[in-house]
Amino acid sequence: MSRQTTSVGSSCLELWREKNDRLVRQAKVAQNSGLTLRRQQLAQDALEGLRGLLHSLQGLPAAVPVLPLELTVICNFIILRASLAQGFTEDQAQDIQRGLERVLETQEQRGPRLEQGLRELWDSALRASCLLPELLSPLHRLAGLQAALWLSADRLGDLALLLETLNDSQSGASEDLLLLLKTWSPPAEELDAPLTLQDAQGLKDVLLTAFAYRRGLQELITGNPEKALSSLHEVASGLCPRPVLVQVYTALGSCHRKMGNPQRALLYLVAALKEGSAWGPPLLEASRLYQQLGDTTAELESLELLVEALNVPYSSKAPPLLIEVELLLPPPDLASPLHCGTQSQAKHVLASRCLQTGRAEDAAEHYLDLLALLLDSSEPRFSPPPSPPGPCMPEVFLEAAVALIQAGRAQDALTLCEELLSRTSSLLPKMSRLWENARKGTKELPYCPLWVSATHLLQGQAWVQLGAQKVAISEFSRCLELLFRTTPQEKEQGAASNGEQGCKSDVALQQLRAAALISRGLEWVASGQDTKALQDFLLGVQMCPGNRDTYFHLLQTLKRLDRRDEATALWWRLEAQTKGPQEDATWSLPLYLESYLSWIRPSDRDAFLEEFRTSLPKSCDL
Amino acid sequence: MRHLHFLTLKAKWDAPGPPLPTPQHQRQHFQPKHLQRSPGDREDRGTDSRSTSRDDRDSEDGDQPSPVIPVDPDACILPDAALCAFTVLDSVLVTLVQGPARWKMQLFEQPCPGEDPRPGGQIGEVELSTYAPPAGVPGKPADPHFLPVLCCVSPSGSRVPCDLLGGPGGFTLEDALFGLLFGADATLLQSPVVLCGLPDGQLCCVILKALVTSRSAPGDPNALVKILHHLEEPVIFIGALKTEPQAAEAAENFLPDEDVHSDCLVALGHHGRMLAIKASWDESGKLVPELREYCLPGPVLCAACGGGGRVYHSTPSDLCVVDLSRGSTPLGPEQPEEGPGGLPPMLCPASLNICSVVSLSASPRTHEGGTKLLALSAKGRLMTCSLDLDSEIPGPARMTTESAGRKIKELLSGIGDISERVSFLKKAVDQRNKALTSLNEAMNVSCALLSSGAGPRPISCTTSTTWSRLQTQDMLMATCVLENSSSFSLDQGWTLCIQVLTSSCALDLDSACSAITYTIPVDQLGPGARREVTLPLGPGENGGLDLPVTVSCTLFYSLREVVGGALAPSDSEDPFLDECPSNVLPEQEGVCLPLSRHTVDMLQCLRFPGLAPPHTRAPSPLGPTRDPVATFLETCRESGSQPAGPASLRAEFLPPSVASIKVSAELLRAALKDGHSGVPLCCATLQWLLAENAAVDIVRARALSSIQGVAPDGADVHLIVREVAMTDLCPAGPIQAVEIQVESSSLADICRAHHAVVGRMQTMVTEQAAQGSSAPDLRVQYLRQIHANHETLLREVQTLRDRLCTEDEASSCATAQRLLQVYRQLRHPSLILL
Repeated sequence: MSRQTTSVGSSCLELWREKNDRLVRQAKVAQNSGLTLRRQQLAQDALEGLRGLLHSLQGLPAAVPVLPLELTVICNFIILRASLAQGFTEDQAQDIQRGLERVLETQEQRGPRLEQGLRELWDSALRASCLLPELLSPLHRLAGLQAALWLSADRLGDLALLLETLNDSQSGASEDLLLLLKTWSPPAEELDAPLTLQDAQGLKDVLLTAFAYRRGLQELITGNPEKALSSLHEVASGLCPRPVLVQVYTALGSCHRKMGNPQRALLYLVAALKEGSAWGPPLLEASRLYQQLGDTTAELESLELLVEALNVPYSSKAPPLLIEVELLLPPPDLASPLHCGTQSQAKHVLASRCLQTGRAEDAAEHYLDLLALLLDSSEPRFSPPPSPPGPCMPEVFLEAAVALIQAGRAQDALTLCEELLSRTSSLLPKMSRLWENARKGTKELPYCPLWVSATHLLQGQAWVQLGAQKVAISEFSRCLELLFRTTPQEKEQGAASNGEQGCKSDVALQQLRAAALISRGLEWVASGQDTKALQDFLLGVQMCPGNRDTYFHLLQTLKRLDRRDEATALWWRLEAQTKGPQEDATWSLPLYLESYLSWIRPSDRDAFLEEFRTSLPKSCDL
Repeated sequence: MRHLHFLTLKAKWDAPGPPLPTPQHQRQHFQPKHLQRSPGDREDRGTDSRSTSRDDRDSEDGDQPSPVIPVDPDACILPDAALCAFTVLDSVLVTLVQGPARWKMQLFEQPCPGEDPRPGGQIGEVELSTYAPPAGVPGKPADPHFLPVLCCVSPSGSRVPCDLLGGPGGFTLEDALFGLLFGADATLLQSPVVLCGLPDGQLCCVILKALVTSRSAPGDPNALVKILHHLEEPVIFIGALKTEPQAAEAAENFLPDEDVHSDCLVALGHHGRMLAIKASWDESGKLVPELREYCLPGPVLCAACGGGGRVYHSTPSDLCVVDLSRGSTPLGPEQPEEGPGGLPPMLCPASLNICSVVSLSASPRTHEGGTKLLALSAKGRLMTCSLDLDSEIPGPARMTTESAGRKIKELLSGIGDISERVSFLKKAVDQRNKALTSLNEAMNVSCALLSSGAGPRPISCTTSTTWSRLQTQDMLMATCVLENSSSFSLDQGWTLCIQVLTSSCALDLDSACSAITYTIPVDQLGPGARREVTLPLGPGENGGLDLPVTVSCTLFYSLREVVGGALAPSDSEDPFLDECPSNVLPEQEGVCLPLSRHTVDMLQCLRFPGLAPPHTRAPSPLGPTRDPVATFLETCRESGSQPAGPASLRAEFLPPSVASIKVSAELLRAALKDGHSGVPLCCATLQWLLAENAAVDIVRARALSSIQGVAPDGADVHLIVREVAMTDLCPAGPIQAVEIQVESSSLADICRAHHAVVGRMQTMVTEQAAQGSSAPDLRVQYLRQIHANHETLLREVQTLRDRLCTEDEASSCATAQRLLQVYRQLRHPSLILL
């Protein structure tokens, strides 16, 4: 009688085992299948099969002869599920816990077990496996999965304790996690064991690589390139999939750049470029390196290459149905040096670098390309705009207009500004209502974004370039009208309302007012209406005492009008201010505004001031 | 004019259903003309045959079998178990999947027509906010009860063709509202925006062009996802509509396709909270959002936006329409007349009298100018509904006499329906109230009974026995008196259960104990009231009365009787009361409270014909199966001197069996000291023994110490009580004792009588032992002797009975004789109580 039951039991065991093996083979077939749909379906089917098998196994009381198979099925199930979902969930932790409880069920340690956490469960289960050597191998595999889960959830303390238990070392938590991972030696798999998707040794290698990479990247981001270097070397020397290797080499390049070894950094970047198809991060890193070296041509070249590289669609190969290094890496971080953004973001970097380095023609072309990329919806692919912390879309338009004006294409700049205003017209306050309110004397001021005023400023400048003085002056006046209606407290539409942003736009508003006043004043000067110019410059000095250019223009006008006393008094104020702290330099202005301010900055300022100073001594002696 | 067409989806519903009444309308301009419904839907409540009208052509349409389109597994283009919602925009497929901890929005390229239908590569991904897992088992995310809602919004300048956006998944918004909601970037880029309503109530948006294009760099949620609002209940529907009809018409004259741009965004939550957002300009000309929340009747199953600023929404009991358009409600005095009109301050849902619609679509305008609704009911019927919202002309003015008459008839029948339903509901409520009151009372009674403990019980039941003649036969009757001395009353639902358990098993080992249970409903037993129940104990058909008989009384409270009526759907027509299934009743169907237990033994059943006064003397107590002939013979024998018949013969030739019991006089005296003082001990003992017999008064009056009685089966039983002295027991001298001797010609009766006497003795001794009387000095040796004798006799009984089982008939006769003898020896002289 009893012999019969055992034979039935063993035949059942055989049946289950065969089912497991069949499902594992199916998952492997799915992995090798090139068709994504077929692959997905096969894998899903295998997953459901494993789930069903697990249910039937766990429906019976735990028994030592079946447990190795059961643990293997749990492992296969978790591996397939996590690789399909590209991440671990709480469910998988529960599956592991259930497996451990089943092991302990056979040990009749029923009393305190219910209260145990996962860590204590591992302790008890591994202790139990000393008595049941056949469980050792599947338990180590399950431990590998638990380690992967904890690593991806950043629970490094738990991970260290688990590894200590696995290594049977008593030294406490002081040991290095990397060392612990290295010393962990999972028992060899038996030849006749049920099939597995991934064995413990494979899991260990993946864990080792992923952990070292995580640590290296973290050190790099937090600014410890020396420490990062050793961890990253560890990764590079181990087994590592290609896409990860590209990133590792790039990170190594970044480390060396930060440590001041440009040549070595270049070597690593070249190695990264040789290694794979993901050229984005190394090219971006190379541009940073060249910028640091001051080689603008090479820098812009690498940025151009970066734009090209990002134009190639990222061919996302279906990830293998295994626990992979990528699965255990932290989510991409915007602060990471490996984040290279998108094509349009790269294009924007390229264009703005051109503008900053004075290559106006190139900058204009790149900006026009960028706008075409962003606005052309007939293109089947969507391209994102530069996202914060970069400038918002209207600012990109303004930068493009600045580049066009600087490149001498005033007409194009005007068109661009018109386009910007027409596209956003629905958002702007109704002007008719505005004038009406002004007539009625309503106190309330309508909200108007800063960039609308800036558009008028640029339009004015374009008209200046085209020689249409009157139109230019009216545009400047319009700009000023809007600017004086905008209260500084109002935040940019769509921008985050944090304090820094508010301050920034506050300073920008002041500088914008100064710029508009100077521009209009210069036009008055050009048309010979010096008194009007004087008014504007005076107002500019009052509104924006931080802008030294306004002083200079005022001084020059006063001198021309031969109002020497006022000029001298102003010069003394300017001198006192020069000796004091330079406040405005601490604020970074929007790129378009900075470029604009550089236009209205007189080139002969220092010479004029020197000349003025030499003309002073008489009055000084007084 | 309103039509309902039903396209039945299943063949079994193809038969046209019974005609149904037309529901009433709250708005005059919805004039019903054709209405037909088929059975099986919930909306069919109030079914009867009062038909108004029926469109046969429509039912013909309904009979058309729907074509079956097979969908084979190859049609699956995106196998993902976590997929929760999707929408299609132009050439992009937008999906929402439930990630490990967050909602994840993914973008896929859609293939060009003619290509492989599978979507191309993923071109963007962003994670939305965390979803709050439902409060259940931690770590076990339950299936989301509500799915998120996705839809695409385009700015009016977008080059995306309008008809692609006209479907339920997308719409075009007017520029001002678009810019206001989604910011300058989206406006500048003229990018479509994906709106997403989550089950936790969040309403968020993602600018589609801003979604990043590779898996390697998912977008930053903080930058890409903007939360527009939090509805605080699961979002069921997102839509948009045009609320300014005048503007639309004016625009229509110049730009024919201008009116597709909606100027109001609407989101609807499950519990009926509706959010409407419009763009408006404040006094200074600044663009500001106008945001209003309304409360509509919930729970909302689905909704749709129709033309003319109308939102249709469906609840399990109704399909309602609300009008958001400007001028649908009179403007308040404070409302400025200039500028774009505001949203109405409140909404009045108008019922369309269709219930349980789970999916709804409204086509904006038919060429006649009405709205056409396509609705899918919970039971799977697809119906179209044409609404003519011709609201400009008031309804009554257009009515003809005929239609007015019909309308009145419909209204009257509707009123009849409603009043019927009201009375039914009232009845149900009354029933429940009554049940609750009764339950409360029952609770009080149970508490009083169970908490009374050893003291006098507030509700008691006492049992006594009497002989009475029923027809030709004397019957022993038990009278149970239920007395309610509590302050509660026993009402409907209470039953008195009396179980009569004969002890035939005590004498006959083979037959099982038989029990009869009488249940008597206690109908209204107020405080202080009593109820008497008389029931026959025997002798039964076979003439036997197996004494002793145990009578147990129990009170039973039937939950099913009291609560069941109130819970059960007494009217199957009403679907709103059947939410209480009858299985809420507990397994036990009631409450059982034991009251008393009374044993009727031989001493209570003895009759003493010799004691009765001559004038009331009955001829003779009748035996159970006496026939008139035997009675006649007996009377003859009695009048003559010579006894004749088998009984007298047996009395003459068979010596009567005797059983006796000796009790120490001291013990008896102590036990009987109250109430029997001044009476000789023997008489007192006899009175005590017959205390529960009807003849006790005569026994007391005549101071008898021995008495001749008749057992229920007619055999003589002689009780003799006398005082004896027992010399052998005590070394100190003889012990005064009372001997109770039972004599009868019937062995069975002697057993019963002896058993009864011993039972009383037992009770008495137990009571006396509790009081702690001291036994006299005894001669232990002698007692041991008696005890040893009894042991031997008992062993012999055992062996004899064993032998009786195995032996054949001849020898078993001898064994039985011997057994009888031993039994006699056991009983006489035997028991001594000191």
